[in-house]
Amino acid sequence: MVRQMIEVAMQEDVIIRPDTDIKMEAAGVDMWYGSFQALTGVCIAVPARQITALIGPSGCGKSSFLRCLNRMNDTIDGARVEGSITLDGCDIYSRETDVVELRKTVGMVFQQPNPFPMSIWDNVAYGPRLHGVRSRSELNEIVERSLTRAALWDEVKDKLHQNARGISGGQQQRLCIARTLAVEPEVILMDEPCSALDPAATFRIEELMLELMETYTIIIVTHNMYQASRVSQFTGFFLLGELIEFGPTARIFENPLDSRTDDYVRGRFG
Amino acid sequence: MKSRHLVHPRLAEKVAFGGLWTAAVVVIAPVFGIIAYMLYRGIGALNPEMFQVGTKGLVPAIVGTTALVLLTALIAAPLGVAAAIYLSEYAGRGPLVRAIRLALVNLAGVPSVVYGLFGLALFVMLFQLGRCLLAGACTLALLVLPLVISASEEALRQVPHSLRQASWGIGATRWQTIRRIVLPNAMPGIITALILSIGRAAGETAPILFTAAFYSLSKPFPTSLKDPILVLPYQLYVMATEDPHATEEQKWATAFILVVLVVALNLAAIAIRARLRRKQRW
Repeated sequence: MVRQMIEVAMQEDVIIRPDTDIKMEAAGVDMWYGSFQALTGVCIAVPARQITALIGPSGCGKSSFLRCLNRMNDTIDGARVEGSITLDGCDIYSRETDVVELRKTVGMVFQQPNPFPMSIWDNVAYGPRLHGVRSRSELNEIVERSLTRAALWDEVKDKLHQNARGISGGQQQRLCIARTLAVEPEVILMDEPCSALDPAATFRIEELMLELMETYTIIIVTHNMYQASRVSQFTGFFLLGELIEFGPTARIFENPLDSRTDDYVRGRFG
Repeated sequence: MKSRHLVHPRLAEKVAFGGLWTAAVVVIAPVFGIIAYMLYRGIGALNPEMFQVGTKGLVPAIVGTTALVLLTALIAAPLGVAAAIYLSEYAGRGPLVRAIRLALVNLAGVPSVVYGLFGLALFVMLFQLGRCLLAGACTLALLVLPLVISASEEALRQVPHSLRQASWGIGATRWQTIRRIVLPNAMPGIITALILSIGRAAGETAPILFTAAFYSLSKPFPTSLKDPILVLPYQLYVMATEDPHATEEQKWATAFILVVLVVALNLAAIAIRARLRRKQRW
């Protein structure tokens, strides 16, 4: 069904690279917080090296779904996930899955910039150190590479050993992206990464996302429909815990199949 | 428009402020009053003679108290912090955890003399430690554990959840997150909790009554954990109730030293907390 969507997208002249394949796939995902069902039967296929946006009104389950993808919901008391989610074809909820490995591969950037109260250098080196990199020169290399990729290196290269809480909100968010990149993920989940930032900082992050798309698969949850239409190639619309519609962003915004999607993207509710 | 207030708001404001101010003074004044009065009554005895080392006296008692509270902290800190980490970071909301919390609340309310008798039964008699430094410290550690645990847990909970999430999100395990993120950031609170607990332990008499303290010892300074000790609260207690040779001035001077020691510990806690707080921001 999803492959069909991509074929449809290709017919619709959406620019999709010929090597596009499916990075993550969810099939019939149900999720509960205690007795409250937050997600019902979510099926989605996330194409590799593309930006996929998840939109929908508050409480529709888009963030909950995002947290299913790196099993962040495991850390919430009473959260339960059923159905299957795969990463490169392997079930991430199977017994053999190492959650630590999974979260390295599927990194996450949060709504509020949350750098650790330590130096910029230590923030970026945190992940590699956890995973056993000891050599100072190697760490220096990783820190520089990650900050460069996160488009932050030039701004902070002279204050790597200052507290990360001292830089601006937008810089902090790019630092959090650099911290994620430092453990060399393949997928980056972004949970409303710009909602705490001003327009200029938002613009920098969006630019950065488009650059990162070359290498990484990005899934972004956003409240901002303009953001979804600006940066993403695919969009999924969530409502009341269900994925109502998923497809190429241009089609979702210009020619949605479902009337509820139409109402939402035209700003009739939400 | 004519005011419809029964009492004019400005008057009410004055009355409220006056009342609250009075309450604050009533609370604080006795503290300073007591310290000043002790100093006034005891100053005559605060001379070199008082600090002479004999089979009893102030210096061995100060040393004994210090050794006792340090050992208490050494025992209570790892146990208490570990329990707090378990409760705050690992435990869910099951019946076991509820039972633990209930036990903690109740333990905190148990009279200290009960701890003293319990220490006597368990450490002094059953474990055959005798009345000694170790038995006293173990008993005091039990007494302060509820305080250490609940205050440490509070400090751990103050660490923003977003930092834990960030760490987990990079693939850190729970323990790595605790070691590298949660504990360092909760340290000021935990250290404060420990020092306040030590302050509490330093002033307690009943728990050490049967487990560690003597009034007069041929060997005034302990050299091993199994040595009995002299401690300030017990010195004061015996001086005040049983020793016909102790003068009024000596009693007041001893009381003054004990209070100064406890106040100094509390001030140290405040200073350390302020120092560590300044270094962190979130």
